[in-house]
Amino acid sequence: MTAIVRRSGGNPTNAPDGGLCLALGDMGSSEATLSSAIRTETAFTVNGLRVKMELDPRESLLDVLRERLGLTGTKKGCDHGQCGACTVHLDGRRIVSCLTPAVQVNGQAVTTIEGVAAPDGTLHPLQEAFIDNDALQCGYCTPGQVMSGLACIAEGHAGDDDEIREYLSGNLCRCGAYAGILAAVRETARRTDPRVGEG
Amino acid sequence: MSAPTQRVDARLKVTGAARYGADLTSPNLAHAVFAVSTIGKGRVVNVETAAAEAVPGVLMVLTRFDASDLGSPGFLMGHGYGFQSLQPLVDDRIAYRGQPIALVVADTLIAATEAANLIRADYEIEPIAVALDAEGAETLSQQEAIPLPFLADIVVGDAGAAFDASPVRIEATFDLPQQHQVPMELIGGVVGWRGDTLVVHEGTQNAGALRGGLARQLGLDPAKIEIISPYTGGGFGQKNSLQPHVGPLALASRRLGRPIKFVMPRTQTFHQASFRPASRQLVRLGADETGRLLAAVHEVDQQTSRHDLFPALYTEITSRLYGIGQFRGRHRLVRTDVQTPGFMRAPWEQAAAFAFESVVDEIAYALGQDPVALRLANDADVDPVTGQPFSSRHLAECLRRGADMFGWAGRTHEPGSMRGADGTQIGWGVASGAYPASIAPAVARLSAAADGKVTVGVDGHEMGQGIRTAIVRLISEDLSVAAEDVIVYVGDTRVAPQHLTAGSWGTATALQAVHAALRDLRKRLNVADSDPVDVEALVAATGQATVDVEATTVAPGQPPEIIEQSRAGLVSFAGPVYPGFTAFSFIAHFAEVRIEPTTRRIRVPRVVSVVDCGRVASPVTAVSQVRGGVVWGIGGALRERSEVDPRYGGFANATMEEYPIPVNADIGEVEVGFVDEPDLLLNPVGVKGLGEVSMVGVAAAIANAVFHATGRRHRRLPIRIEDVL
Amino acid sequence: MRPFSYTAPATVAEAVDALAASGPGTKILAGGTTLYDLMKLDIEAPAAVVDVHRLTEIAAIDTTDPGEFSFGAAARMADVADDPVLRRDFPALAESLAKAASQQLRNMATVGGNLLQRTRCGYFRGGPAFPCNKREPGSGCAALGGLDRGHAIFGGSDTCVATYPGDWAVALRAFDAVVDVIGPRGERTVAIADLHVEPGDTPQREHTLAGDELIVRIRVPVAPSSRGSTYHKIRDRESYAFALVSVAAGVAFDDQGAVEDCRIALGGVATLPWRCPAAEMVLTGERLTEESALRAGEAAFAGARPRAHNVFKIELGIRTVADALRIAGERAVR
Repeated sequence: MTAIVRRSGGNPTNAPDGGLCLALGDMGSSEATLSSAIRTETAFTVNGLRVKMELDPRESLLDVLRERLGLTGTKKGCDHGQCGACTVHLDGRRIVSCLTPAVQVNGQAVTTIEGVAAPDGTLHPLQEAFIDNDALQCGYCTPGQVMSGLACIAEGHAGDDDEIREYLSGNLCRCGAYAGILAAVRETARRTDPRVGEG
Repeated sequence: MSAPTQRVDARLKVTGAARYGADLTSPNLAHAVFAVSTIGKGRVVNVETAAAEAVPGVLMVLTRFDASDLGSPGFLMGHGYGFQSLQPLVDDRIAYRGQPIALVVADTLIAATEAANLIRADYEIEPIAVALDAEGAETLSQQEAIPLPFLADIVVGDAGAAFDASPVRIEATFDLPQQHQVPMELIGGVVGWRGDTLVVHEGTQNAGALRGGLARQLGLDPAKIEIISPYTGGGFGQKNSLQPHVGPLALASRRLGRPIKFVMPRTQTFHQASFRPASRQLVRLGADETGRLLAAVHEVDQQTSRHDLFPALYTEITSRLYGIGQFRGRHRLVRTDVQTPGFMRAPWEQAAAFAFESVVDEIAYALGQDPVALRLANDADVDPVTGQPFSSRHLAECLRRGADMFGWAGRTHEPGSMRGADGTQIGWGVASGAYPASIAPAVARLSAAADGKVTVGVDGHEMGQGIRTAIVRLISEDLSVAAEDVIVYVGDTRVAPQHLTAGSWGTATALQAVHAALRDLRKRLNVADSDPVDVEALVAATGQATVDVEATTVAPGQPPEIIEQSRAGLVSFAGPVYPGFTAFSFIAHFAEVRIEPTTRRIRVPRVVSVVDCGRVASPVTAVSQVRGGVVWGIGGALRERSEVDPRYGGFANATMEEYPIPVNADIGEVEVGFVDEPDLLLNPVGVKGLGEVSMVGVAAAIANAVFHATGRRHRRLPIRIEDVL
Repeated sequence: MRPFSYTAPATVAEAVDALAASGPGTKILAGGTTLYDLMKLDIEAPAAVVDVHRLTEIAAIDTTDPGEFSFGAAARMADVADDPVLRRDFPALAESLAKAASQQLRNMATVGGNLLQRTRCGYFRGGPAFPCNKREPGSGCAALGGLDRGHAIFGGSDTCVATYPGDWAVALRAFDAVVDVIGPRGERTVAIADLHVEPGDTPQREHTLAGDELIVRIRVPVAPSSRGSTYHKIRDRESYAFALVSVAAGVAFDDQGAVEDCRIALGGVATLPWRCPAAEMVLTGERLTEESALRAGEAAFAGARPRAHNVFKIELGIRTVADALRIAGERAVR
């Protein structure tokens, strides 16, 4: 199950990740065991693929995505709903996955950053706009910014610059890439809906 | 082939494919959580672990390591590796609130967290002193406490007498708060063993120190340690050294036979890592009636910890911002009961420039002069401290061009003279900034392959500044290869020593080494330095699969042997004073503030910043870096302050909610300009530093703008709503 | 986090049964943005959790009745904030939601659960390093004599000065909303004024609902001043922050241009949503001017008991009230 949830992305070119799996491939072998809380069977979809698992109701959606499904594009920045780095879509709406008990998403559809680009690797226009506007630096908040930006446009909250700034304020960026993020969302919103003005 | 204009790792970052330290997942990972001290100082008498151990899934609860198994890493600024010398969990001493008292390892994060919350301890509590003026805080003269030449007080002439004799004199004392770096990526990663090799995946700015420090702490051969950190999710100084969780995790992992993932809870990052220390700054500035600056005195008391002396270098820039003939600096260190403070973006310069540039502005107003004109009239021809020339200095150009871009000519001089229709007070402020242009030793290993691909491994860490992009651009331009054919390894001890990337020396350091490797490669391929290269054909012609070269570079004036110090993971940079010249980056910031007539919220709708950072190595990422520095400046000026309750110690607002870093809605237009004049005296690629200078002076420009709006000077940061009501 | 049992009833009836069957350690989980957060901090440790966040039968938003708007408790804050009728006819309510938290959190949090949001006092949330009578009754209050910039200047006691953090309830308080609740003993209606309680000697008790009672609906009578209303929120940053001072205000004018309906309630300054009847009286029957608005602000903050670091909230609060009344007045039909 964990293998199929990640859509294949392009191979890293300039940025090999240091052979993560290679380096740790043969480190120990014992299986992790779940602690004994009352477990709840939970079924949902992630990026269109069905997932069914026994969950400890304490587990956050964020930790389930990252640690059990291997979807590490979604980031942990505060674990308390104060930064937005863990933003994903639940039935098409943006939420913070750190404050969502994973059992709550039973029957729902989760979309993570790994599910935004097309299966062939073609980027979503907003992802392209993030690159074109250099709307990122360290990149750690970026998946959350993209998920939030997509939702901002879909909600109709990208009408002008002030509205975009306000509706993206739930996603902190310590590198301070806000100007680029604003430009990327504005540009993409205008491509989607020509009525959106300059702000 | 044109060099890439976009950030080369942007695609990986917008798709979530870039792998940070904690992104490694594997079914056999164990998870660790620290329980921490609830007291501010004292001794831990007993740690109650039974309840924690009883939690299903808990593998081990460790409260004490033998000091012979887990030694001190030494202090980064004292020929060591750690952000502080103190290694928790080796004795019963508690030096600050938030210090770890137990390490819990469990099969799952849920179990580890539950267990850590169940740990209780009994303490002997001792009184604490956490403020500069608290009873029990101990004040030391820096030059006496740390008798090293570069930490001596800067004294040029007799500034005291010259100040007393100055016709126009301003004296002011400034209080600067503690602040925290708060990078988005939490501290942590995965620590494990491959046979007898220790492998650490962690976002860091200093993989070399992790390796060297773990070797020292654990008694390991450095060759048996690999630190892998291809991406760091923001550092800003917080991740510039070995932190105290890694050693215990390595020991626990060896005992368990499993790799351990550790992600430090956000609140703990405020206590288990460094921070910008509090400082108090006295500035005396004297001028003649024409506005010529005659004398400056800059005295700073800076907080440090009981167990380490984090040095202060505030006057390094204030002695050089202008051509002031008489200068006297003084640094004192104040021991308090905290973890050791440290580097946070422009660690001293941000605070120093706020204090000094506020007073420069005040001099201008005392004389009725335009603040830009006064600064231009006092530009320095040579380094006033050493008498040496600057390698390059274009501060005046920054001021002139910035004034032009900002429309400074439209400003009216009188405070309170610019208002919006609704009574909004408008202020325009300016400030200069500078930051030392340092360089560190580096090794670049470059491999050109017969398929046309070029692989380089070099000292450097990618934490968002765009070092990877700058490296790809240099190689792509030099060898006419496509950006996607250049493969860069940074932050990886398997390819280079990985000296600390900080102090804005990263790009100059890495590019200088890559540049040298490119020269070597051209020699091996028999191509003149200026001729075009066909990598594929030339490598194929050698009959080998690859042509490999390795180059080592050092800072001007450094002996070649310094590379051995860097290979050991120790800080080895040089600058800003080199044999024959002095090197700084410079900047001028122009800020507009608007203050509401009633509820007095302060907004910064626009900032213009013009930088002299030598050649701009990567234009797109450089603009982003400056914008980010301005955002940091706005945060530092108007938002950020780490609160301390003197009864409890530690930090009280240790969350991303209560420590208010700017949000998107806080940030207006930020326009960036570059002088873009190569500094070829400093290094053959002509690059000076950029990341930190971009923040230096922003707070002063904003405070000066607030004065221009309201007529009131502010001596403390942040300037908050209650300060302007 | 401590282990707990989890149930997600499909209907309100099932939820009531689940609550009736469960013991005293049971908590109702809705959006999770407070309860699950505090469980992560080890401050809440329920033995059982009853999840009501997807009870669609109590998620309806009804703004069709011109006399009373009704919001199902499980409606999401974001949906209510975006309701076009509410934004036009009752902007104070819509704005109080739109200016709270972030859009992600507003998509999660329910308008029922939000009413019982717990304080953001750092000593309460900070855990065992600090005494806190709310978290651990009888342990003391670290905020007294501590970092109290964000703390209450109204409604505090010598055991607790923690600020009620919400916005929505402040706006509801200004407009006399009522809350319908259901439990094993049947249904009842609680005035919003009677929902929250001052800390007194029992700061751990924050509201008047029983543990097995579930909020199902919030009803707000549409007042003459509903259209001329605003929620004005002053924060340390422009967005995504709790209030230093916030004001829900509404005004309506009579034929002569005098104020005939005036509503003022305060957030960020009190231990519970704080209505200001004396300030409302100042304006009622008077013309709304800059001067009279400031007088109303002064009346609103008369009797405030500031602490060491929050004296500024009085002056800031007075001006915020005045600005809120101006904004409301500009929206009011004259």
